[in-house]
Amino acid sequence: MSVPEHVPAGLVRDFSYWTAPGMAPERGGDPQGALAGLHDGPPVFYAPNNTYDGHGTWVFVRAEDQRRVLQDAETFSSHRRLFEQALGEDLPTIPLEIDPPEHGAYRSLLNPLLSPKRVMAMETANRARAVELIEGLKDRSRCEVMQGFAFPFAVGVFLEFLGLPQSRRDEFLGWADKQFHGTPEERGEAIRTVVGFMRELVALRRREPADDFMTFVVQATVNGQPMSDREAVGMGALLFVAGLDTVAAAIGFNFRYLAETPEEQARLRGDPAAIVLAVEELLRAFPTVLMTRIASHDTEFDGIFIKAGDRVSCPSMVANRDPAEFECPNRIDLTRENNRHVAFAYGPHRCLGSHLARRELVIAMEEWLARIPSFRIAEGTAPLTYGGHVFGIDDLELAWGEKAVAA
Amino acid sequence: MIVRVLREKCQGHARCWAQAPDVFVLDDEGYITPGDIAVPEDQERAAWRGAKSCPERALVIDDGATAA
Repeated sequence: MSVPEHVPAGLVRDFSYWTAPGMAPERGGDPQGALAGLHDGPPVFYAPNNTYDGHGTWVFVRAEDQRRVLQDAETFSSHRRLFEQALGEDLPTIPLEIDPPEHGAYRSLLNPLLSPKRVMAMETANRARAVELIEGLKDRSRCEVMQGFAFPFAVGVFLEFLGLPQSRRDEFLGWADKQFHGTPEERGEAIRTVVGFMRELVALRRREPADDFMTFVVQATVNGQPMSDREAVGMGALLFVAGLDTVAAAIGFNFRYLAETPEEQARLRGDPAAIVLAVEELLRAFPTVLMTRIASHDTEFDGIFIKAGDRVSCPSMVANRDPAEFECPNRIDLTRENNRHVAFAYGPHRCLGSHLARRELVIAMEEWLARIPSFRIAEGTAPLTYGGHVFGIDDLELAWGEKAVAA
Repeated sequence: MIVRVLREKCQGHARCWAQAPDVFVLDDEGYITPGDIAVPEDQERAAWRGAKSCPERALVIDDGATAA
């Protein structure tokens, strides 16, 4: 664990998203809440070993500072070469790893596909998917929510968006599991598998156009240039990276919160119109993604010298507990109105899928509460939570109906 | 009440539109259409909530309390 020469010793902290208190996998943990204490320390510090592959990062604590960093994509680049190690070559995921000004044209191409209005048009199919899954398990009195609902639902929506048959769900679930939670070797293998799959899909849709996302992409032009295979693969791969684990984890945290607050659960069940606002507060309290940027040139931030190539981390879960931004930030208030949380980042790389993700979270909660009676964390269990690049919840055993009598 | 729209700061979160769809009009990409907005009196509360919900701080409320 080495500290670069330009980092003053006084700014170095022993911290990482894997090893700080509350970050390692833990039964019944609260990884987002565990980081709220960072607001008692310096607004910016350096963590010497703070990525899954051992790099150091600056950590920006305050919401206002994260806003400045993430709005300035020219200085703080989003091109992190996510796939370089696994593929042996850089294959930028698009538009995440393309910065302005080139970023704008790709974003303009994809924005209409995931705009609030377009997402409303997907509502019926996505809701039917949730209903089908919940109907299939409601007669049981217990369910492991992540494998039983959250992942199948998120993957189902993803397959629908890509125009792929639902029969491929288990295959995608396996890739997602390895990519996000596997060993470094499994992770690399999963990335190669997904990229290989997208290459085949791109070739297929060039040969046999259909009415689907990938056909739209391969037939598009950007800045007057026809879409290259490499660009199309980068777009497909990003959907996979961004849209599965994140949504499933958020569903897990949301349902866990409701299981532990029966009065809020009952209130929302009786007043489904309040769910939209509640989901925003849960996005503030339990966001799953932290944003990483790389300094594209030497720069200074409030007197701190940041060198070209330095990694900069903006944890949304920390900004979302900033007392300067939110009143009583550690109180979860599902009726909170003044709520400009950063679960979907700030700046030009604002989550492209945010409108779809929001609807997935709302639909999941509406349909679950409408079909499952008062539910609780199953007796004798506690969900396994963890920090890392994407905060998550491994298993969530919920029970409903009469309590089982101990034998 | 006037809402000043800093269009270059809009990143398409669409939180304003979620709060007040009649006040904040989005383009086909989901970003706010340019131009300051004169808010009808009966929409002021919704518009205020919408402006306050912008994560980028792209919407500035001018309620006439301060001299131009």
